[in-house]
Amino acid sequence: MKRSNTMMMAIALTLILTLLAGCAPKANQAGGDSNTGAAGEQANTPTNGTGSKTLTVAYSEGGQTLDPAEANDLTSDTLVLSTYDQLVTYGVKNVNGADIAATEEIKPMLAESWDVSDDQKTYTFKLRKDVKFHSGNPLNADAVVFSLDHIKNSNSGGFLYQQASIESFRKVDDATVEVKLERPNHMFLQILAMYSFSVIDPQAIEGDANEFLKTNTAGSGPFKLEKWDPSSEAVFVANDNYWQERAKLDKVVMKFMKEASSRTMLLNKGDIDLAMEIPPKDVDTLKQNNDLTVRSDASNRILYMGLNNNMKPFDNPKVRQAIEYAIPHDALLKDVMYGQAKQMKSIVASNTPGFSDKGYVYEYNLDKAKQLLKEAGYEDGFQFDFTLGSGFKDWEDAATVIQAELKKIGVTMNINKLARAQFLEQLRTGNVQAFMSKWTSFVNDPEYHLGFLVDSASSSNYVHYNNTKVNELLKQAAVETDMTKRNGMYEEIQSLINTDMPYLYMYEYNRLVAFNNDVKGYIFFPDECLRFYPISK
Amino acid sequence: MKASTSPSAVVAAASEPSMLQEAWFALRQWSKLFLRNKLAALGLFLIVLWTLFAVAAPLVAPYAPDATQLEAKLQGPSGAHWFGTDQFGRDIFSRVIYAARISIWTGLIAVGISFFIGVPLGGIAAYYGGWIGNLIMRVMDIFLAFPSLILAMAIAAAMGPGLISAMMAVGIVGIPEFARLMYSQTIYLKEREFVEASRSIGVKDSAILVRHIFPNALAPLLVRITLGMGFSILTAASLSFLGLGVRPPLAEWGAMISEGREYIITGEWWLVTFPGLAIATTILGFNLFGDGLRDVLDPRLRTSRK
Repeated sequence: MKRSNTMMMAIALTLILTLLAGCAPKANQAGGDSNTGAAGEQANTPTNGTGSKTLTVAYSEGGQTLDPAEANDLTSDTLVLSTYDQLVTYGVKNVNGADIAATEEIKPMLAESWDVSDDQKTYTFKLRKDVKFHSGNPLNADAVVFSLDHIKNSNSGGFLYQQASIESFRKVDDATVEVKLERPNHMFLQILAMYSFSVIDPQAIEGDANEFLKTNTAGSGPFKLEKWDPSSEAVFVANDNYWQERAKLDKVVMKFMKEASSRTMLLNKGDIDLAMEIPPKDVDTLKQNNDLTVRSDASNRILYMGLNNNMKPFDNPKVRQAIEYAIPHDALLKDVMYGQAKQMKSIVASNTPGFSDKGYVYEYNLDKAKQLLKEAGYEDGFQFDFTLGSGFKDWEDAATVIQAELKKIGVTMNINKLARAQFLEQLRTGNVQAFMSKWTSFVNDPEYHLGFLVDSASSSNYVHYNNTKVNELLKQAAVETDMTKRNGMYEEIQSLINTDMPYLYMYEYNRLVAFNNDVKGYIFFPDECLRFYPISK
Repeated sequence: MKASTSPSAVVAAASEPSMLQEAWFALRQWSKLFLRNKLAALGLFLIVLWTLFAVAAPLVAPYAPDATQLEAKLQGPSGAHWFGTDQFGRDIFSRVIYAARISIWTGLIAVGISFFIGVPLGGIAAYYGGWIGNLIMRVMDIFLAFPSLILAMAIAAAMGPGLISAMMAVGIVGIPEFARLMYSQTIYLKEREFVEASRSIGVKDSAILVRHIFPNALAPLLVRITLGMGFSILTAASLSFLGLGVRPPLAEWGAMISEGREYIITGEWWLVTFPGLAIATTILGFNLFGDGLRDVLDPRLRTSRK
């Protein structure tokens, strides 16, 4: 009995292990076919038929919540953006033939217009009168006030509320809302356009609002959510009573597939229309397929290695600089990211206005690294613990490459791999010596990166960096209305950071999205979320 | 054999010569039976092969297992790299060889944990019986109620990923098997005359358990150890595959397969195939050997098999 069990396990595991990638897509394909069949009932044609208006997209994760104020991952954000509208939205510009969002250009959405007071501290929004929520209730000032109140008291969106420096808000009349700021804030409208500030229909809520919104939608967006099962898929249908032109798609099926190779393979075979989070190594394979378009847009997402500035030996800036000299940037870009990334030369992403690489003098040089270690008193090297959050293959690959490199200068890097949830928990408790993490700037402004990562008062400053000069400059820049002066201050901050090196720079990601050539209207947004509304097929 | 050296086994002394003869006869018969069983011999060969690889890894492996060579990444099998290279240009043959060390160590330590905790527990439970026996065996039943891999995952995750916790998790999961085996053996043996005789002359319970019952239960335990090695190596590889085992850059078969699986669709099959074969052959070796061992050690099964 036991023997045959073990034998069976042995055989089963060998089979599973060696054939996993080969089998998984087949299993998924069967699921995909049956599901698109169901999805196609409205259009009465299978997905690969020409007349279908069903878009099937693949994501890695199934999302955590439907609550706009609590959403904090790519899938949840996309679910919110499809079903909710915001007061204002971003413009779109065409750069080198590709559509990307123009975040500096704010356009009306649920608010048809707004007035700004002379002191830049009071915004008065006039709401559209023709907007109806999915429930049929009309949009009014009460809904906006409710929504602002909801985000103010939320866990995840609360920080954005603070970042927007909102002091108070009130209903003026049914179609007018007034928002007062603590100080002039050049990022206010940009933040207001984020999914977190979606306008919620308070009348549609049954019972406790926080509980209800977690698993239900109460928006006015272009799509209605028909089904959301984080373990398999989400299904949207077009909102026929949308206040703007009806969406061009009838139905959107979001499929959740953890295995990156499955997403690539299904897309390659034409079983899905669009895949998010393509592994960089698969880009070349996908590009060879003439039916596919691969979009690779420079994002504001950076990957950094945080070194705890309070812990030995990283409390010494020389040690941090030494390690930066030992990082093989070319290898990271070429062998880990397969060219789908850019080298970081500041803690701010290079396509952010106000970016400056001033003070970034580092290049891969092991002798220089050794010399700096010697000056810091670590001639014989040292050991440190590096905490690796699982879930991103490139993080692990980058860590392994760096580990091998550091070995050459006598530094032993012990990699402790943790599940993502445990990793985030450890970061919060603040006792991590070194780690790797990403940061995305949803708002195309250096304050977003700097305020969170290097301000000593920030809760995301997990490296415990504290430079009084930097803190001071950040405070000044936040209230500076003159763009040129402000960018001057940001340049000075970035140069100070580049000298102190509280973080080591890995790379700036490209957002990789691949889709069938018949999918039109893809727009890249700095929050990297996909908007289904402009897409047609 | 230990029983025969026991100074207090006066009563047992009468049967001593016959026991020795019996043992010698049995050994000769075993080896004959064993060699006749070609599959078991193959199993032994595989075990010896992998153990030799593990011991002599630095001599056998042409490269260091964690030596990255990015300009030679993802190369197929060739003269320079027999099993090809992985995404960091590390030599897969060398890694597979070095990983044998980890897997065999994991197997030994895990089985050691299972053995040294499970056997005393089972022996005590059966020998004393009553509430203490009930308590021990019901706890073992609770352990057995969970699928072993799930239980190992839970234990490993609770202790934090790492080689040590993987070894301990696999070891803990194996405890009930040993406890139950020892329990059934002890129940049967404690009624035998030589045990009763020892008890009647006042030998301490602990001495009876260690010197009389345990040596007589050794044969089935040996079979269990061999099969347990296979199980432990496989479970540890599964844990590593799921990211609960070794830390990078340590080479481990399960972890290598996990890292390499994304490369299958782009055609780099050698990343997973060779560690997969290594796992398969090792487990096969232990299982075949364990089966053969059982055939020769357990006369009741001998006739039922070809």
